[in-house]
Amino acid sequence: MNIMLRSTLLFFCLFGLLSCATDESNTTTADDDSNPSAVDFDRSAMLEHWADALIIPGYDQWNTELTALQMAASDFTMNPTETSLRVVREQWITAYTMWQRVAMFEMGPAERSDLRLSVNSYPTNTSQIENHILEGGYDLTLPANRTAKGFPALDYLLNGIGTTDAERLAVYTGANGTAYQQYLSDVITDLNTLSNSVLTEWQNDYRTEFISNDGASATASTDRLVNDYIFYYEKFLRAGKMGIPLGVFTGTPEPQTLEAFYYPSLGNALFLEALDATQDFFNGTPFNGTGTGPSLASYLDTLNTVTNGATLSESINEQFVTARNAVMALETFKVEIEENDPPTTMLNAYDEVQALVPLLKVDMVSAMSIRIDYVDADGD
Amino acid sequence: MRIPFYYTVIFALFGLVSCATDDDAGTVNDPTTVATPEMYSFVRDGESTVSFSGQTTRIQMAEEMLSVFLDFDTTTEDLLLNMLSNENSPFSDPSLNESDKNILSKIAASEDYFSGNTAGSATVRNQFESYITSVISEVYPNTEQAAAPGVPGQISDGSSTRFVNGKGLEYNQAFGKSMIGALMLDQALNNYLSSAVLDAGNNRENNTAKITEAEASYTTMEHKWDEAYGYVYGNAAMPENPNTTIGEDDSFLNKYVGRVNSDDDYNTIAQEIFDAFALGRAAIVANDYELRDAQAEIIRNRLSLVIAVRSIYYLQQAKTAIIAENYGTAFHDLSEAYGFIYSLQFTRNTATNAPYFDAAEVDVLLNNVQQAEGFWEVTPEILDAMSATIADRFGITVAEAGS
Repeated sequence: MNIMLRSTLLFFCLFGLLSCATDESNTTTADDDSNPSAVDFDRSAMLEHWADALIIPGYDQWNTELTALQMAASDFTMNPTETSLRVVREQWITAYTMWQRVAMFEMGPAERSDLRLSVNSYPTNTSQIENHILEGGYDLTLPANRTAKGFPALDYLLNGIGTTDAERLAVYTGANGTAYQQYLSDVITDLNTLSNSVLTEWQNDYRTEFISNDGASATASTDRLVNDYIFYYEKFLRAGKMGIPLGVFTGTPEPQTLEAFYYPSLGNALFLEALDATQDFFNGTPFNGTGTGPSLASYLDTLNTVTNGATLSESINEQFVTARNAVMALETFKVEIEENDPPTTMLNAYDEVQALVPLLKVDMVSAMSIRIDYVDADGD
Repeated sequence: MRIPFYYTVIFALFGLVSCATDDDAGTVNDPTTVATPEMYSFVRDGESTVSFSGQTTRIQMAEEMLSVFLDFDTTTEDLLLNMLSNENSPFSDPSLNESDKNILSKIAASEDYFSGNTAGSATVRNQFESYITSVISEVYPNTEQAAAPGVPGQISDGSSTRFVNGKGLEYNQAFGKSMIGALMLDQALNNYLSSAVLDAGNNRENNTAKITEAEASYTTMEHKWDEAYGYVYGNAAMPENPNTTIGEDDSFLNKYVGRVNSDDDYNTIAQEIFDAFALGRAAIVANDYELRDAQAEIIRNRLSLVIAVRSIYYLQQAKTAIIAENYGTAFHDLSEAYGFIYSLQFTRNTATNAPYFDAAEVDVLLNNVQQAEGFWEVTPEILDAMSATIADRFGITVAEAGS
């Protein structure tokens, strides 16, 4: 209790310092968009931190992992063995996990290249994949092929085409093996092309564009990325990874819609990585680092947003912890859903994940005067 | 509170009897004697007098057409044209094949708008046939390429993939949304609710005397009114109480009454439309023709408004998407807008008994988005101007309709 009190005091003291510092460094010029609140917060510094400490290093690492995946696949196709197949799979897991760190940043170059749906549309369409392999002549850049490529297609190609590695290897060395090898390679090349172009754009012009768009309006970088962040949390993390497979929206569980369906133990790990990534983004924790930086959390603290006696940033961080603990206690999602009717434990965990949505989508954005710019489409 | 409808009928008949003996025909027309039924359920001699199976059939035919419109591997031009005219057993549902009904003969076929305008009718029918021939010749051979200005092919709209022509138009959307106007709306508003149809021949005399059609429980006038009803509610899960599932029963007029009703600015419109249908039908039972026509006006007004609101809504959605450079989303919205705007020529302005936009004016509107590169070169300004033109004509605001 004492320690907590002390650290809270320390926290507020630091806060005083910080806001003094920002007060001095941040002058509002006449042509700036109107500040959303009476309190000065240096959005530009936050944007710079996001770009340099989270987004660009994240894309960079993801790109590196995909390059390694391409090399592993190349080794495999030159010398297809169970061992070289396992190396590809291990690197697929690494790259897929790394993707969870950057999946939320769907703006600018990523949005233009439709990155998220190109990289991770699941469930993958296995008959579409088999058809492409059988007939050749496919163009993976076409939108209709988003369900036949990316990490979920690799999940099928590395895990789903047989029940043992011996069976899977037999597909790659069998009568039509060359076509399977080619398809595996093409899917990985497509991923590399996408990651390269997004990373390069961020490293070149887009970083400056992103940071300099530091106002407070619907088209400003902060407003847009915060919208993208919450949209990601709500639709892709909460609904995509848990809610839809659980049947939360339809009443019918659909385990076949799970991420990493053919490698069930990975599904939970991908979810947790994504949850960590969204919390790190909230706190401004640098990629592969510790601590915090200018972030949504420090923004809220500057605004001194308090709910139910705790600061909002504390409440949000506590809920992240609660949600993570609930999910960590689960069996693999597939087992939870297939062996429990209803899957009560996982539904309870889902509720804890869901509980973050109003904190972010209502409390946080209203404190920051950011307007949510997406609505549930009316379905056609 | 809930009084079964046949009691209402009995009371109404009592009213008639007493009026007749009063020798004061004027009181028959007192609207207070006819209440708005809660259900569209009308009974005579223990038998339902409600019938609109032909409308249900046509809605289901149109649904099946939409469902196979983009089945690139199996659908052919002949199949779609056969479905339009119900020839050569084109439907998967045998009961549709066995029906003597078809869609084509009811497209742009209303008494009020097209009985003296066969050229106009032919132009509209040609438009539907051309959607079919064009999707087959332009889109089907090019499904495995990315769309670009002047190039038909695929384009992404969120997680969906859309298939567009060289101008960005989805023919299936244009076909479906144009059908709402040319079939459902035109038949309901300008045919079955028209006094030229309701009162044709001896209809009024027979209805007043309750002389039913041969081997049927209903008078001709009752049946005509029901047929208008059927174009909105014919595929409803509970046809006598259709607002429980409004918007979910088809892909046509019902769907968009539901959609507009879920906009807070118009959240009573579904009830208003239903009430007008129910009260108008009760008025026919009670021989109150003024009351009937007043309800027809309400229906014409509200259903026309549905088309206008959806036109503006999709134009505004497209504008947002274009600003965000989501072209696939924009083209999908524009394709829906295209069909709704086309449907404006079948709306009914009760002040003029003419459409809010005639065919020539609709062409002018649509030409805004069908220049050389079509949707690819549409600007937010063009879409705002089109929205304002439509909103002004209907006396509504773009802000109300656009969200």
